[in-house]
Amino acid sequence: MAIGSVGVATASRSSSLRTRVGELLDREQWLGPIFVSPALVLLLLLVAYPFCMALYFSVSNAFIGRPSHFIGIRNFVNLWQSDAFRQTFQNAFVFCGAAVGAKLVLGISLALLLDQQLWFKRLIRGAVLLPWVIPTALSTLGWWWMFNSLYSVVNWTGLTLGLMDPPGPNWLGQKYYAMTAVVVVNIWRGLPFFVITILAGLVAIPRELYEAAEADGAGSFARFWHVTLPLLKPVLAIVVLFSTIFTFSDFNIVFVLTHGGPINSTHLFATLARQVGLETGRIGEGAAISLYLFPVLMLVVWAQLRFVRKQAY
Amino acid sequence: MSSLTRRRFLTTTTGAGLAGILATGIPPALGQQREISYLCWNNFAPLMDKKLAEIGQRFTKDTGIKLRIDHIAAAQQAAKYASEVQSQAGHDLVEMRMHFPWLYEGQLIDLGDLVADLEKKYGKVLSSAAETARVQGTWRAVPQYHAMFVATYREDLFKKASLKIPDTWEDLYTVGKELKKMGNPVGIPISQNYDSISTAGPVLWSFGGLEVDKDGKTVRINSPQTALMVEWYKKMFRDCMEPEVLSWDDASNNQAIQQGKAGWIHNPVSAYIVAKQMKLPTADTINHHRTPGGPAGRHETDVPRHIGIWKFSKNAEPAKEFIRYLLGKRETYDEFIMSADAFNLPVYDKLQDHPVLKTDPKYAGLRAEGVQYHCYGWPAPPSDKVQLITNSFIMPNMIAKAVTGTSTKDALAWAENEMKKVMAG
Repeated sequence: MAIGSVGVATASRSSSLRTRVGELLDREQWLGPIFVSPALVLLLLLVAYPFCMALYFSVSNAFIGRPSHFIGIRNFVNLWQSDAFRQTFQNAFVFCGAAVGAKLVLGISLALLLDQQLWFKRLIRGAVLLPWVIPTALSTLGWWWMFNSLYSVVNWTGLTLGLMDPPGPNWLGQKYYAMTAVVVVNIWRGLPFFVITILAGLVAIPRELYEAAEADGAGSFARFWHVTLPLLKPVLAIVVLFSTIFTFSDFNIVFVLTHGGPINSTHLFATLARQVGLETGRIGEGAAISLYLFPVLMLVVWAQLRFVRKQAY
Repeated sequence: MSSLTRRRFLTTTTGAGLAGILATGIPPALGQQREISYLCWNNFAPLMDKKLAEIGQRFTKDTGIKLRIDHIAAAQQAAKYASEVQSQAGHDLVEMRMHFPWLYEGQLIDLGDLVADLEKKYGKVLSSAAETARVQGTWRAVPQYHAMFVATYREDLFKKASLKIPDTWEDLYTVGKELKKMGNPVGIPISQNYDSISTAGPVLWSFGGLEVDKDGKTVRINSPQTALMVEWYKKMFRDCMEPEVLSWDDASNNQAIQQGKAGWIHNPVSAYIVAKQMKLPTADTINHHRTPGGPAGRHETDVPRHIGIWKFSKNAEPAKEFIRYLLGKRETYDEFIMSADAFNLPVYDKLQDHPVLKTDPKYAGLRAEGVQYHCYGWPAPPSDKVQLITNSFIMPNMIAKAVTGTSTKDALAWAENEMKKVMAG
């Protein structure tokens, strides 16, 4: 019967298609790319495309809503003439160096402490994460109140305890204090990332190594120096790498606390780029500010990843 | 003749209809929902936002045009507008602060017909609003209201110490010294915020100085007049203020007078309105007076706000209809203005003696006879370069440098150099 033969032919066609797809999926060279492709599409759309656009903007005279033209590296050259930009450049290194350095030292210390047998260990470990999970803009507002000239609880406490002379430091109004304030908030915010990651590294170090070192007569500092630190190096390299990138590109803390002031002494690349690119519409110049450190950061990333690979193999 | 089956009829008509829609790109009238969207700021007078929503609902009821109003914080406006312009998609109507029509000139439709109608009814647009909404002779936005800066002082302290209301900036120095001795210093921010520029501008203009010339190209900041202004700031900072003004943001001066610390600030009337609404003890003691003047007259910073329509909007006509509905009917416009409790005032000449100014005797200072209102960068046209000078806070930073130890000469030279670089860029 005709209907029956059509049905059989369709069934056999679909079964052979299934077989072919099945065979295809069995081959590693096809299956791998298929699994990776959704992530790749997302990366292309959300990372590669905006990055390429930013690259193009940085070498153009792009202004919001107007046709733009290629101008080579003129934006980068012009920026270096600006006092505000040179100050920002300097700020970025001071801010990043001070914050990452302090986070590293404090992170290792706190992780070592949390690795000990403590009462309420889980509770304390959870609490350490709090600054990391609270939205930055919100927590920075809290800090802003603490440093505020009118309501500063920091100054109130210092004055009450007799640690400061009245009226106390003008935290957000004098350049060194203002830089100290933004660095302190960045340390507070970024410390949990260091602590938790280093703690994970500490937990993974075999106990036998410490027992062997102890048997050889090593004290606590020698155990830290000769066992803990060498084995933590790959973890530390990764943490420092990520933190350097995050700290260089910080925006919220400075934007909420100081707006880049006083006299541009706390401006970072991201806050200056916003001021020039978005508030004034000069997207080309704004993109150039954002990408100024890209080659330097690329070198840092390359060097650190190379170091990590060497440590791993 | 072959008979037409139901299936064949449906297939043919659906196919032809779809082909027509795809060819013209226009959906059938029945399916078209007349809907417009308006992106405006989170008003510093929140009751005005409520009133806007109410008027919007009435507009929908009266015209059948659906209106969606979205609000955005003032600080986020620039970023949001930039993304709408870059993607050529977003809202139909947008609220535009001060110089925004200049920045987005090529993206906004000409609204000259609407402004002409409004001027016929309410008189000429105030100069500061016209300078910012009319770009190269074309109205790129319709002025809707403005908020100007005004001298705000503690009346009780002035009475207690028998201090005279300052008529000039020099007079303010005289009373400021007394106020500081009383523990209630003058509160003028000298930091990277817009209130700093809003005070520095009027002081500079009153001493006869300017940042950039009328031609929009020549930098004029390094002048004897600016030196006078900087010297005035130096002695004010030393004798009448506290160093905390170097860290202030836009809200700090409001808080300083509301909390009873400052004796005199320069700000829109919001400091008093908020104190009144929050029933703060200082509300009864705060009053306003006319902006102080100087050798070159009496000048004040103005913040006009306009409404524009993006060129990419497919609903320009219904959007215009909304602007007519909101601003074109006197009773609706009055209702809208009254809701702001004198924070936002009409921008049309014949409405300057608006009933809202009579709702509280403390608004008398807002009438400000003889005060000339300008926006940032005046008298230069608000081009992107002039805006970059403003947004880079060069003037407040010049003052901050001078009051913290840099010589007046060096501070002026620094500002001139920075402004020239912006102009050359």
